[in-house]
Amino acid sequence: MAQLAKKTTNIKVVPVEEEKLVPPWKEAWLAFCKNRLALIGLGIVIFFIIIAFLAPIIAPYDYKAQKLVDRFQAPSSQHWFGTDDFGRDIFSRVLFGARISLWVGFFSVLGSVVFGTALGIIAGYYGRWVDAIISRIFDIMLAFPSILLAIAVVAILGPSLQNALIAIAVINIPNFGRLVRSKVLSVKQEEYIMAARAVGMRDSRILFRHILPNSISPVIVQATLAIATAIIEAAALGFLGMGAQPPTPEWGKMLADSKNYIMQAPWTLFFPGMAIMLTVLGFNLMGDGLRDVLDPKMKQ
Amino acid sequence: MKKSTFKTLLVAFLAISMFLVGCSSKTNQNSDDEKDPVVKEETPAKDTLVYGRGGDSVSLDPISTTEGETFKVTENIFETLVSFGEQDTTINPGLAESWTVTDDGLNYEFKLRQGVKFHDGTEFNADAVVFNFNRWMNGNEEQFPYYTMFGGYKADEGHVIQEVTAVDANTVKFVLKRPQAPFLKNLAMSPFAISSPAAIEKQGEAYRANPVGTGPFKFVEWKENDTITLEKNADYWQAGLPKLNKVIFRVIPENTARLNALVSGEIDVMDGLNNSDEATVLANENLQVLERPSMNVGYIGLTNTRKPFDNKLVRQAINHAIDKQSIIDAFYGGTAQPAINPMPPAISGYNDAIEPYPYDLEKAKALLAEAGYADGFTMDLWAMPVARPYMPEAMKVAEVIQASLAEIGVTANIQSVDWATYLDQAKNGEYDAFMLGWTGDNGDADNFLYTLLDKDSIGSNNSAMYSSDELHDILIQAQTEVDEDARNELYKKAQEIIHEDAPWVPLVHSIPLLAAGKDVVNYKPHPTGSESLINVEFAK
Repeated sequence: MAQLAKKTTNIKVVPVEEEKLVPPWKEAWLAFCKNRLALIGLGIVIFFIIIAFLAPIIAPYDYKAQKLVDRFQAPSSQHWFGTDDFGRDIFSRVLFGARISLWVGFFSVLGSVVFGTALGIIAGYYGRWVDAIISRIFDIMLAFPSILLAIAVVAILGPSLQNALIAIAVINIPNFGRLVRSKVLSVKQEEYIMAARAVGMRDSRILFRHILPNSISPVIVQATLAIATAIIEAAALGFLGMGAQPPTPEWGKMLADSKNYIMQAPWTLFFPGMAIMLTVLGFNLMGDGLRDVLDPKMKQ
Repeated sequence: MKKSTFKTLLVAFLAISMFLVGCSSKTNQNSDDEKDPVVKEETPAKDTLVYGRGGDSVSLDPISTTEGETFKVTENIFETLVSFGEQDTTINPGLAESWTVTDDGLNYEFKLRQGVKFHDGTEFNADAVVFNFNRWMNGNEEQFPYYTMFGGYKADEGHVIQEVTAVDANTVKFVLKRPQAPFLKNLAMSPFAISSPAAIEKQGEAYRANPVGTGPFKFVEWKENDTITLEKNADYWQAGLPKLNKVIFRVIPENTARLNALVSGEIDVMDGLNNSDEATVLANENLQVLERPSMNVGYIGLTNTRKPFDNKLVRQAINHAIDKQSIIDAFYGGTAQPAINPMPPAISGYNDAIEPYPYDLEKAKALLAEAGYADGFTMDLWAMPVARPYMPEAMKVAEVIQASLAEIGVTANIQSVDWATYLDQAKNGEYDAFMLGWTGDNGDADNFLYTLLDKDSIGSNNSAMYSSDELHDILIQAQTEVDEDARNELYKKAQEIIHEDAPWVPLVHSIPLLAAGKDVVNYKPHPTGSESLINVEFAK
């Protein structure tokens, strides 16, 4: 019953939007602009992206240059964020750390989106035993706490930033897979898909030309939020010594390296911690805004 | 609406109560187990000492390892024939009351203490001593790595002991093939503690987790990577000792976390105090800092059998590239001594004429170019996962070295793995370069040079796989040389050879720090790194 009702509404909605002649992305953008928090989020994200790109230009020092005589300098005009236990400039390290965190965030999520979407489409479209197998694998993966699974993956591959990225990508696959699968399940019941089948269109064309574009918007929302989680997970792995290896200025690693000096030199923890907090906040605000815009259920 | 809220509340309430029920049964059990002894202990005087340390023991059969965390525990369960002074390496009676040596240094006769019993109730006597030595000499490096102190195993040519016999129930005779100058000092080392023959035969392989000795404390329980519990041996042969009723060795890997546990009173003594935390402890009126007399060396082993460290010039280059003093200033609170030789200066035979490789990056680059590595190379630098007395913060030191090496074009990837695996893989020569160290066990030059760098010790403690026949001849000669001056000359020559071949980068001789509650008295850290807690007690 519910499905029937949905079908009818959908049929009506599609032509109405086309009549308006406002491209859906523009409509979404306008709605997004009205959401002040989302704009702040976007601003933070753009700010960190710029920092990441310009790090070599902005950074006053080489992020890996040690100067043991200058250990634990408090923040000053020379070292804006102070120096760490090796006398390295924390400001420079935080700047370069932005590159790493964003890189891990974007690419791990890209990886999980690609694989998750592919598996989700296959599971949703073909159904039956294919769906059963893929969905059970997802269930099993989701049964583990994600950080534990990431640690397991890194333990197998060996600790490095790249493997941490792979681990984070792997653990997020089921989230996207399930999302896409459920979306595909509803989309494939639509009349236009049936019509496409009826005229003998190939499966691959139906999948990529019709089902995929119509299932992707929740993925975009989920991806933005997932970047935030991925950055935290990368920092957690770094903190545990299973991510970036020294002297890489990964934020989580910087926290781990400095935690012994929390009383003596709190700035060694404060700045990388703030950097993690801000980027994650940025992505979360932006993701929430996108969800409000793109999720029809939230539109009101 | 109201109904559903009520339902939700009800369900939530039920769910929470289920959780609580689940929790409470467990907590009850725990508190039942733990409360009783605590209550008993706290009403009279405090007599349970909790010792916090960085790593777990590898084994509790002291002969089966060379690793210090083991000896810290076994020193309390076992005793050796002769023993060291309270805070030095002089030789004192132990399980043997007295001994005689023939002039040629080949025959030792020990009079054993009478009326001593193992913890399993069996008698300690000459047969037990003979049994233990036969067990060790018939083994191999895999089983009893430290037995190489006696020049190898029974079938080996270098083996010093010809035979060990029981003259009567309380007299043991050792006949040596050649004199061994540090023989008595070797016998006093923790690994050569006497185990109960009955227990070894009964337990077999499991003996390493069920030790039975004659010492002041009895083994109770070992929870791996957590705690080892010992309790007072009521039948101990020294009346009135030990003073403690129970000792718990607890593993807390992180130095700072361990200090926090000490501050909060969870533990009473901790080793591996970071130099950077010394001020914190001194400022706390409930705590005290204890200094361990220095008898150690922290070093980087350059595995001589692996490229590019099979090339002497490369090894020398690395020696030139490391700034020891700034490492000491940063991570040893400036108190350690930069190492020049593989043994600390306090040990007789130390060669103070040797000039250290100066910190000189240009020289290092030139040497690398000469060796054919003008563009540098990439290597793995392994750093210890745990705090060691000779290196409380290995990871940090590794990062400094990594940065120095980068300046001469050498890319070092820092690696680490759990401690037992680390020792094992280093021993097998699987690492390019590794950080490690050594705390002397008997205060003799032999225990550093022969133990760590002789070709006989490859497979036990010569993890750098350094093999020099010239050095071997000198070290063996020094072992048999009974004249002190002549012997010291030989060791000086040995250090020259080692300096030239540069199998290591000797880094530091540290003064290891411990911290304890103010109420802990008579805790005397021993230079060997493991001490008996027999006299320790709590201030009333």
